Amino acid sequence: MADGIFLALAVLTIGSAIAALEMRSLIYGSIALMGSLGGVAGFFFLLDAPFVALFQLAVYVGSIAVLILFTVMLVRRELIFRKVEDKRRRMAGIGLLLVFMVAVGAVVVSSGIHDMSTDSPPVDYRDIGADFLIYYWPALVVMALILSGAVTGALVLARREDGPD
Amino acid sequence: MSVIAPNFRLSGFIRSILDNVFWIIVLVTLAGIPAIQIVLFYIEMPVIDGELLTPFLALTWLADPSRVLPIVKALMATDLFRIAVFPGFGLAALLAAGTIFVERKMLAKLQLRVGPFYCGKFEGILQLAGDGLKLISKEIIIPAKADKPIFWLAPVAFVGTAAAFVSLIPVAPGGWVVADVELGILAVFAVIGFFPIITILSAWSANSKFPFIGGIRALHQMISFEIPLILSLLGVVMLAGTLNLTGIVESQDSFPWIVFLPVGAVVFFICILAELERIPFDLPEAESEIVAGWLTEFSGMMYGLVQLGTYLKLYAFAAIFTVMFLAGWHGPMIVPPFPAEIITDGIQLGPVTATIPGLPLFDQEMLNGTIWFIIKTVAVIFFILLPRGVFPRIRIDMLLSLGWYKLIGLSFINIFIALGLLYAGVLGPGGMI
Repeated sequence: MADGIFLALAVLTIGSAIAALEMRSLIYGSIALMGSLGGVAGFFFLLDAPFVALFQLAVYVGSIAVLILFTVMLVRRELIFRKVEDKRRRMAGIGLLLVFMVAVGAVVVSSGIHDMSTDSPPVDYRDIGADFLIYYWPALVVMALILSGAVTGALVLARREDGPD
Repeated sequence: MSVIAPNFRLSGFIRSILDNVFWIIVLVTLAGIPAIQIVLFYIEMPVIDGELLTPFLALTWLADPSRVLPIVKALMATDLFRIAVFPGFGLAALLAAGTIFVERKMLAKLQLRVGPFYCGKFEGILQLAGDGLKLISKEIIIPAKADKPIFWLAPVAFVGTAAAFVSLIPVAPGGWVVADVELGILAVFAVIGFFPIITILSAWSANSKFPFIGGIRALHQMISFEIPLILSLLGVVMLAGTLNLTGIVESQDSFPWIVFLPVGAVVFFICILAELERIPFDLPEAESEIVAGWLTEFSGMMYGLVQLGTYLKLYAFAAIFTVMFLAGWHGPMIVPPFPAEIITDGIQLGPVTATIPGLPLFDQEMLNGTIWFIIKTVAVIFFILLPRGVFPRIRIDMLLSLGWYKLIGLSFINIFIALGLLYAGVLGPGGMI
């Protein structure tokens, strides 16, 4: 069951990633990118990390993909791109990709990852939260400062220049 | 009064119905029942109570009144029932349909108009059915240069996303929820994030300027109000100590969170209005400026689907408000307990005593919870509808400044109130109350 879902998710993720690069229409490309990011969220679900998966859906599919979509819609593609593709470039690209994939695969196979199995239960997000508050609190404070700085910056940007009359 | 069918005669109508009934009976007896029996002959039937379940026995059981209630009960325990009927789509669609009618009638009364009046004998009560028939029978027109796949897909995806949202809502105690996700409120945020995508895609795919302007407005509005919406719920999550929606409702058994977090409730309510594109935030479909906004090019049942999705979304947001701030299904017990002597002795009608197995169909807690949940949700829906009769539309710069500048600040104040209550030891896990 899990193997089947894994295969389907792998096909979805890699297929829509390829489609996102290869589609002629930029809109369809960004929809395919959404599919790819959603597939990654599915992997997180399979890995018993629903917390990360739901944030992947909310942030990447829900916000970042929208940002890309919005930018793409306001841009006229034919004005900025010139088609430079020819057969040799295409073959070179495919060859480079194959070499890279084979290299990564060789590294993975020769490492100890491929026969690693564990029966330990998945890490609860509550434990991660507790660790953050107790042991890693400086990192949490730094993150909080960055985030509140970002929100304050957003508030400053949203302020009207002319002011209330 | 206009007449749809000038040659209509009631006797002819009744005769045609009787004709249909006659032919149905003839066809079922001659072809239907034999076909069922033949098919059942080849299916291996289970043995129940030491008896082989023959087709005859199965039909007898189905027709046996003493077995109807257990069968209904078994049906109610299935996932399909939950998805399609009770806590899921059926209840939501029923409430959505009621909302559409009440909205039109109530707005009319607020503005001293009559509203729907002619459809049906009483106060236009059949107006909704008439509108539905019209939408179904209307031609679907697609703009010539539209991007057809996305344009077709957008209304379906909209309804699907709204239904996914509805499925996360716990309605009654005892697990009456379609999907009891452990991280329920995060799942809500993830589902809400899909609405802007569908809106902007459908607006772009229509290849027309009014939908595109409306779609961009909708995108701005939804994205900027998602942030205070999420922040305003964090206070409740902190105090309840869980992300599960059922857990959040159970944490409010003595008081609803709106008592302690009124700021968060107000912020969340305003964000609901903006996310639902309701007046005074209906800039995406500003009918006096950009025709109908991102809905302009939809026609026929595609428009009907988008409307259905919009009202499902309205119900879902109102229900989330009820769950987060108004204590969900909690309320005084108003449903009388099921009389025990009916279960033990049966119903006595003169000389006849009827014992009905399978009673009671619903337990008291669940009925009471459902009634309170629906009362509260309907009240919230009423308050969502009310501004439409009162307020004018606001400008987009006022909208964005409200969202980014005021509501985010207020929701941070709400978070600090919640943190104060938590660290003072008043509320929350391990608190005094």
